[in-house]
Amino acid sequence: MDVDTQWKGSRRTLFQAPRIGSEGMNTNWESHDGAIVATVDGRVDGANAHEFQEALEAVIKASESAVILDFEQLSYISSAGLRVVLLAAKELRKQGKQFAVCSLAGSILEVFKISGFDQIIPVHSTQAEAIAAVTA
Amino acid sequence: MSARLSLTVKTQAEELARITAAVEDFGEREEWPPDLVFRVNLALEELGMNIMNHGYDAGLHEFDITLISEDDTLTIEIIDDGRPFDPLHDAKQPDVGAAIEDRPIGGLGIYFVREMMDEMHYRREDGKNHLTLVSRR
Repeated sequence: MDVDTQWKGSRRTLFQAPRIGSEGMNTNWESHDGAIVATVDGRVDGANAHEFQEALEAVIKASESAVILDFEQLSYISSAGLRVVLLAAKELRKQGKQFAVCSLAGSILEVFKISGFDQIIPVHSTQAEAIAAVTA
Repeated sequence: MSARLSLTVKTQAEELARITAAVEDFGEREEWPPDLVFRVNLALEELGMNIMNHGYDAGLHEFDITLISEDDTLTIEIIDDGRPFDPLHDAKQPDVGAAIEDRPIGGLGIYFVREMMDEMHYRREDGKNHLTLVSRR
């Protein structure tokens, strides 16, 4: 896997972001006032969920206080992807860090609700709302 | 009007991309609403991954997927010669109301299929699992 070191965000947080694009998914991360916002673009399925997991583990390691997953550009997620989201939620909870997801549309929101994840993970309609909530 | 898509799939996760592409193409030709494309892809992935991960002891195998698209309904048939598995009875129902610390990792796949489809029928015949799913459009 290629490793792409990025400088991004208002605090110039340096972290290493695995570049993921080979299996129809990309993640990009930015730091906003101590919260890392990871935007997930494309599909998370059983074929690339392990890469999504590696990416999220790196985000969690780099985060100081909170992680937000922005799913606006996510077109598909299966139980394999939701498994990784739950793992992240449990790990962040253990570390005492905040976690939220935002911008879930259509079928993505539906699977989140069907799985009951909307009851255990804070869901916000916009990234700005999610940042405001976790940095409050 | 009725149209049919038949796929023979190998038991390796890389096949998901081929299934997805075929379903999207078929759904477009059959003018499915976007949520139906999503639900069909989800059902095929959850059931397909289940066969790939749990259906066989080892080695590369194949199973068959058939989609029949009609005016009002979509029918999905999955036939595999892996170990017997009846998703209607052999899959545990997850507790989707549990607190985060009590939620187990995994166990949502078959539940999704049941939620996303309108009918589900299983039979074991000639040493094969025959699963039929129906979704009203």
